[in-house]
Amino acid sequence: MIAILVKALADLRRRRLQAAVIFLTVLLAIGTGTMALTLMTQTRDPYQTAFAKQKGAHLQVFFDGATDRQALASTPSLIGASAFGGPYASTTIEFQHGNRKFSLDTFGRDNPGGDVEVLKITAGHWPASDDEIVLTRSFAELNGIAVGDRLKVVSVAQKPILVVAAEVIDIDEGSADLSSQHAWASSSAIPGLTPSTPHSSFYKMDYRFAGDPSSSQLAGYVDRLKSSLPPGSVGGSVNYLLIRNVFNITNQILTSVLVAFSVFALLATAAIVANLVTGIVISSYREIGIMKAIGFTPPQVVAVFVLQILAPVLAACLLGIPAGAVASQPLLANSSHALGLAYEPSFSVGLGLLALAGALILVGLAATLPALRAGLLKPIVVLASATAPRGASGRWLRRLARRVRLPQAIVLGIGDAFARPLRSGLTLLAIIVGVVTVTVAIGVPRSFETINNSETGAGNVQVVVTRSDGYPDSEVMRILNAQPETARVVAGTGRNVDVPGIGDPVNSRVLRGDSSHLGFLLVAGRWFSAPGEVLAPKALLHDANLKIGDSFTATANGKPLQLRVVGEVYDVSNLGHELFMDWSTFAQVSPDLSPFIYYVSLRRGANVSDYVRRVAAAEPDFIDVGPTHTSIIAPVKIIDSVLVIIAIVLGLIAVGGVFNTLLLNTRERVRDTATLKAVGMSPRQVLVMVAASAGLLALLGGLVATPLGVALNRVLLDVISSSAGNDTPPSAYAAFSPLELVTILLLAVAVAVGAALIPGRWAARTNVVEVLHSE
Amino acid sequence: MDRRAIGNGHLWGLGMTELVRLTDITKVYQGGVTGALNGVSLTVEEGEFTAVMGPSGSGKSTLLNLVAGLDRPSSGSVMVAGADLGRMGEAALARFRRDRVGFVFQFFHLLPNLTALENVLVPAQLRSNTSAESRGRELLKQLGIEEIADRYPAKLSGGQQQRVAIARALINRPTLLLADEPTGALDTRSGDQVMDLLMQLHRQGQTILLVTHDAKLATRYAARVISVLDGRIVDDARLETAERAAVDVIRVRGEETRR
Repeated sequence: MIAILVKALADLRRRRLQAAVIFLTVLLAIGTGTMALTLMTQTRDPYQTAFAKQKGAHLQVFFDGATDRQALASTPSLIGASAFGGPYASTTIEFQHGNRKFSLDTFGRDNPGGDVEVLKITAGHWPASDDEIVLTRSFAELNGIAVGDRLKVVSVAQKPILVVAAEVIDIDEGSADLSSQHAWASSSAIPGLTPSTPHSSFYKMDYRFAGDPSSSQLAGYVDRLKSSLPPGSVGGSVNYLLIRNVFNITNQILTSVLVAFSVFALLATAAIVANLVTGIVISSYREIGIMKAIGFTPPQVVAVFVLQILAPVLAACLLGIPAGAVASQPLLANSSHALGLAYEPSFSVGLGLLALAGALILVGLAATLPALRAGLLKPIVVLASATAPRGASGRWLRRLARRVRLPQAIVLGIGDAFARPLRSGLTLLAIIVGVVTVTVAIGVPRSFETINNSETGAGNVQVVVTRSDGYPDSEVMRILNAQPETARVVAGTGRNVDVPGIGDPVNSRVLRGDSSHLGFLLVAGRWFSAPGEVLAPKALLHDANLKIGDSFTATANGKPLQLRVVGEVYDVSNLGHELFMDWSTFAQVSPDLSPFIYYVSLRRGANVSDYVRRVAAAEPDFIDVGPTHTSIIAPVKIIDSVLVIIAIVLGLIAVGGVFNTLLLNTRERVRDTATLKAVGMSPRQVLVMVAASAGLLALLGGLVATPLGVALNRVLLDVISSSAGNDTPPSAYAAFSPLELVTILLLAVAVAVGAALIPGRWAARTNVVEVLHSE
Repeated sequence: MDRRAIGNGHLWGLGMTELVRLTDITKVYQGGVTGALNGVSLTVEEGEFTAVMGPSGSGKSTLLNLVAGLDRPSSGSVMVAGADLGRMGEAALARFRRDRVGFVFQFFHLLPNLTALENVLVPAQLRSNTSAESRGRELLKQLGIEEIADRYPAKLSGGQQQRVAIARALINRPTLLLADEPTGALDTRSGDQVMDLLMQLHRQGQTILLVTHDAKLATRYAARVISVLDGRIVDDARLETAERAAVDVIRVRGEETRR
């Protein structure tokens, strides 16, 4: 055993550079893998934990303001709720903060606790007077509102001022950048905040049930409420499953992406290790012969090679595993923060040991298989064998290169690239993994941006205007059409529609004007062009068992609505449960329909800031006007950031693979290099020869990897879109131009050539006399 | 002129140009106590077939490496074909080796993954001469190995490999052909064949500087034998002067070898 350790450590000291390459690649791979495993195990349904802790409401139902309170009080027993909250008198308030206007459903509630929907106060105190308001922390952070800020309510004539008394986490709401938010005030404040227009007040009830009710069960409870109360009493409902799914999607996507790319990273590392050990074995034939001749058994010979690899691997794991666990903490903290959970840094020792064992086994196997060759060789054979490759490998490549009249140094380098086919193949694998990852890291964010732009109207809509209730729609249109820069205005509102087969009411975007230019991404079919025509995302179509061309009868405002599906659209709102229709369609069941939002497209060259200022000045109180928000939502930013990190990790691993291969090749062929120098190859030509070898491998790897990366980009987009209830629209796939793909390929070649510099310069400095005369 | 010299077909004669001049060369390797070469001066004329002979460690190979520009002296100057090698950088020395010198090694040093013909063509292709194939084939034919042009070194005998190495050394029509123990790794018959080839090249006008430890070989083929011992030239015999017999040359080496 001592002899094995002594030999292994001596070899390790001699191969410091290769040990460093192994250390670095394993460090990166195991760090990424640990990050993925930590997220996987520590974020399993964190929403459920917070939901239980905060006694979340399985079902929230909104009732018309005219509904009898006594009747509302009896609804929990009607549907078998184990706990309830409310009825909370509520209204929608519009308020101003700075030069921004907002609209929030506000509930009258006198304490944050109770049996259902416990609100976790994260700053401030619960309102003690009627001039205080509570906001969700998510909403406050997104819009830069702090505790103590004063909000001017503009939806009632008195325009009262409300002071932000507290920020809370409401487990029954998603984050502000993904879903609308609510606010709370004291119950006695609500009447003073309710406009005098009809249907401006409503009630909210929260229900909690034993166990985890399913979506169909919850839909059944809503139906029971509708059938037991006067028609029109039940306005809408929200169930907890939708919020949970939206929250979990980001973590699931992140974890899936990390796990998948960690596997790539580990495979690439295993390929590099296998390459390295193969090269060491080949260059150590004489030593192996001597070892066997003096009494090392085959297993002992294998052990010498494996141990000198496992040493840097172990060191890398001891550093990389804690590093990966630490790197995952910001993501875990973000997840906890969003849920209002206290963040506690967590690290599982068992997980660390699992990662360590996995790395040692995988890399150990990658080292053992080629090392077995050393163990099986006969002493006399290895003592007599040469080390450099012989024969025809690379000949056809050299011929091809010569035919196109490349310089001799490049010809020889190209021929050398496949002198050892297995080594070159493993190196190609590392390059392919690296280039695929970089391609995906560029493509997915771009596709996300395309999708995000469709959601925000970026590029098509420059200004968004919202109208307060009571302010005439006609006035808004007059103001907008009076501006010379206005090219097009599309007005819109949202209304609930009951779709057969769907338990919860489906929000419908009702659009007035030429809405086909708003930028929504068509997946299939066409935009609506006549009354009764609708579009929907995939999830709704699938769940309602509809396809393009189908007709169905929906219900809105208690009246039947004949609809026909003419297209599939990309939209992640409510995880793909949305309908898109023209104003003329919904107006059949709601003649007094009026829009609350206006999407304004400006003429080319218009100054958006000037336009916004002018429109705001025309009606400072009852309309809110601002440029289109095109910023990427937080979950997407996180995914983009993680992809960039993964691309850097795998790119570095690929560079390490190329560097390692070139190092092996140049050392193995030192005599050939010396011979070439002796017959007149200059140092620069030697460098070019080594670089050509690297360049060819990168070129071939890139040619395979670039289309693979584009394909993986599509697969990932499909997975992400599907998890949000959509098919990927074809335009989102087009993340790259042909020129950009060529540029990625050329960059891969340039990086590989850069990696060749150190081994190339080492080869160029070969001392001919020392090498050729050391026989 | 000595009749033996004429009989052997040596071309040494009057009016030859000086091709190599070593002036007071000293070479000390790192950590060396004594120099590999100590104050060596010699000239080689164009058209000469000169053998540098000496025991192992005498400095003969070091001398050859200096003339080839593969190594630099610790002191002194090396002039070859009018070029001062001491003033040349690495790139210039590489061009010098490629264009002016042909080197034949003891262990052939062919590139194992190139065919025989491809090995021959390497120096020509390094100077971007893309039309050297016909000359390469001609050289192989001249050396009697045209049929092995497409074979790899692993499939060639030692003698065949050395002939390929000679062809490689000649492809760019070098001013000077250097051979370091060219028969050292060959059997007697193959060695004789290689030396006959070198002799034939010399008769065609090639200047040859050969290093060997074999006195018989040196005196049989070379017109001039320089004996080196402990880094110094101890004798410089031209066979045409008839001043020294071959056996005397052997005795200077310190061996009791007899013909």
